[in-house]
Amino acid sequence: MRATRFTQAVAWTALSLVAACGGSDKAAEATAGTSTSASSELLIVGYDREPDTMNRYATHILEDIQTCVIEGLVTNDEKMRIIPVLAAEIPTVENGGVIMRTDGGMDVTWKLRPGVQWHDGTPHTSADVKFTVDAMIKGDWKPESTDGFDRISSVDTPDSLTAVVHYKEVYAPYQMQFARGTLPKHVLEGRDIDKATDYNRKPLGTGPYRVVEWKTGEHVLLEKSPNYWRGAEYPKIERILFRFVSNTNTRINQLKSGEVHLVALVPWDKVRELSGASAVRLNRVIGNGYEHVTLNEKHFPPFAELEVRRALAHAVNREQIVNSMLDTLVSVVNGPIQPLSWAYEPNVRSYAFDPAKSRAMLDAAGWKTGPDGIRAKNGTPLSFTLITQAGFAIRENIAQVLQQQFKDVGVNVSVRLIDGTSISSVWFAGDFDAMLHWWQSGADPEITLFFASDRTPPNGRNINYFADDSLTRILYASDRTADQDKRKLLLQQAQRRVAELVPEIVLYNTAKIDAVPATLRNFKGNPTNAGPFWNVHEWELAPPQ
Amino acid sequence: MLRFVVRRAAEAVPLLFVVSLLVFGLIHAVPGGPLSLYLENPNVRPEDIERLRRAMGLDQPLVVQYWSWFTSFVRGDWGYSYADGRAVSTRMIERIPATLQLVGVSTIAAVVVSLLTALLSVRRTHIDHVSSVLAVAGISLPVFWLGLVLQLLFSNWLGWLPSSGRTSFGDGSLSDRALHLVMPAAVLAVAHWAGWMLYLRGSLRAAMATPLPRAARARGIGEVRILLHHALRLSLLPFVTVVLLDASIMASGAVVTESVFAWPGIGSLFTEALAKRDYAVLMAFLMCSSMAVIALSFLADVVVRALDPRTRSLE
Repeated sequence: MRATRFTQAVAWTALSLVAACGGSDKAAEATAGTSTSASSELLIVGYDREPDTMNRYATHILEDIQTCVIEGLVTNDEKMRIIPVLAAEIPTVENGGVIMRTDGGMDVTWKLRPGVQWHDGTPHTSADVKFTVDAMIKGDWKPESTDGFDRISSVDTPDSLTAVVHYKEVYAPYQMQFARGTLPKHVLEGRDIDKATDYNRKPLGTGPYRVVEWKTGEHVLLEKSPNYWRGAEYPKIERILFRFVSNTNTRINQLKSGEVHLVALVPWDKVRELSGASAVRLNRVIGNGYEHVTLNEKHFPPFAELEVRRALAHAVNREQIVNSMLDTLVSVVNGPIQPLSWAYEPNVRSYAFDPAKSRAMLDAAGWKTGPDGIRAKNGTPLSFTLITQAGFAIRENIAQVLQQQFKDVGVNVSVRLIDGTSISSVWFAGDFDAMLHWWQSGADPEITLFFASDRTPPNGRNINYFADDSLTRILYASDRTADQDKRKLLLQQAQRRVAELVPEIVLYNTAKIDAVPATLRNFKGNPTNAGPFWNVHEWELAPPQ
Repeated sequence: MLRFVVRRAAEAVPLLFVVSLLVFGLIHAVPGGPLSLYLENPNVRPEDIERLRRAMGLDQPLVVQYWSWFTSFVRGDWGYSYADGRAVSTRMIERIPATLQLVGVSTIAAVVVSLLTALLSVRRTHIDHVSSVLAVAGISLPVFWLGLVLQLLFSNWLGWLPSSGRTSFGDGSLSDRALHLVMPAAVLAVAHWAGWMLYLRGSLRAAMATPLPRAARARGIGEVRILLHHALRLSLLPFVTVVLLDASIMASGAVVTESVFAWPGIGSLFTEALAKRDYAVLMAFLMCSSMAVIALSFLADVVVRALDPRTRSLE
């Protein structure tokens, strides 16, 4: 009898715990089960991290969810072309949208698309552009980056669809200035934006979707906006659920079991595992980023010798890495601006795999092989530490291959793995010899912050601590040139100079691989952090066969 | 009893103060900080970093930062998350129910199965052998590995259970919640079951070796009754203590389980806060964990004193 009561008590407690904290699920009206097929009713995205905020200007992680809700004046497409969204056209020097002032500044006139409304029905106007600039300049909240906004002196709004942005100086990347959209003046005016939880959790946008529910730790649910400016036929998918699954293996398992339908940015080492899944199509676009070995001249002075840098570049078998370790998902490249960019220069010096040449160059530079097989000069061994991110499986393996290839020419390398959060502070402090990593860039081809001699941290990302006056002059001239053709010539000159001086060993470009339902149409991917959701309004799911 | 409670509470205060100092020092000693993630974006300029550092109060000396945190914490103000700007207390409170649910169910499961397997192991040699092997496996297998293997088996191959999450989208039914709970609760329970079962089995064997069962046998009492009424009663006291002390550790063990199964509890909040170096959330989590350990060890003492009169006379 006692045992029965005990069993009952345990059973009731367990049941209560299971039922506990259930509450009402706002999403419970649908009938989807554990595993479903993607349909025009519902697309489930397995997303690697929960957003910090939905405010596009304040977030410091990818803006995929926000992109579905808040549109920019422009975005960039899968070929990295800048295209207008809320702007009626892209202002350029040619169309009179950009005027150089005699005082060295410039005026950019943004013509807004007519008939666009915020989700609450309020018209989207130039007052919102002005409010956004003012809020960014005022800076009494926590926007992630004020880059570009700090060069704006004021904004005029001659009419509700025209915003004239006055820059204090020429700012070449002006076209992407409002890629993150605008802040709604009528919602945020006079408020502490950091504490505007209503906006930061459920932002008002003009995009194809609006936020229905953000269930912390679990998901964000978006549903079709009823008054989308492109017309009632857009978007074609009713609801999108972003489910937060931080563990990569779990996310891939969920994709295979059909619990989620789409996973953006599949890690490269998972591509083989997914290539056999019939319900999934892997969409690959070349990313606007490049993997390379940064050579920190300040921390390891032998890197300051040009011959050493060139010899190290010749020691690396990039084709072998790309073919055998990366399954040709990416391609060998020779510089920081990628073939996708309008500013790309293909005719630069390249460094073919040639260990004999590498050894000869090091010998000629006075780096002689010692009895231990390690080269040295004036008592300094050619021995350095290569850091890279722990847990990034492919990168860990490539670091070991590089270690072996450098050893073959008499250079000793120790590999040190550092967790993803710590490594940023390590490189920002310049506290490393060499680092295997990538830079992922936006659609604008600016590279000044990576190579200008005065842009070492904290002023930029020149973590090679590389200094070349000629290159620096060219780069700053390109930043102050709004005319794209003239700027292109300067940037091509800069790329040739970078390749000559090889401040870093460029390995290969990146690939953005997204796993999408095999039945999804019009998914195009994106090479930049604009992300694959830039054209979500066009996505369409074919009915199941 | 009242004196005992007051004394223990008084002991806890300086202990928590020391813990807070240590934890604060340790998390600030780890490389990287809340601003590390911003550095990845090349468009975040030095002026932005400085502006954000000031806005987050990270430009103050560590001692000032600690004192500011401590005085607020004592007043019940746990500060704001660096990551999303919301109150830390809000972020913790919305996650605690999921963790309590997971830890509660797995503790009950582990206790029940430990009791059954330990009792059967003492009675049946072959069950003893099997449970010993399973217990060693349970202790040795990493939680994340076991979790992933179960996901492959029950979700991908057999399709019986959802691989992760707390509910299916569009379904909040009791059965849906129960199905989602099975794997994470089982994984969390296995490791503790193994330890608890071995512990209880040892205690039961020791109890069976005392003169009491022999005397009972001499009076003609059956073996099952001896086991349940005499040996188990003697063994339950240390078992309850171990379970209560372990339950607090179980809550922290849930960090890995919650991450593997995308369970929206405070464990996954901790993992997220650690990756973002969200100091305010980390401090709150670690202080709550410390308080839970102190509270449960206190509860274990109270239970032992209530059940065993000998401990009361020791005062």
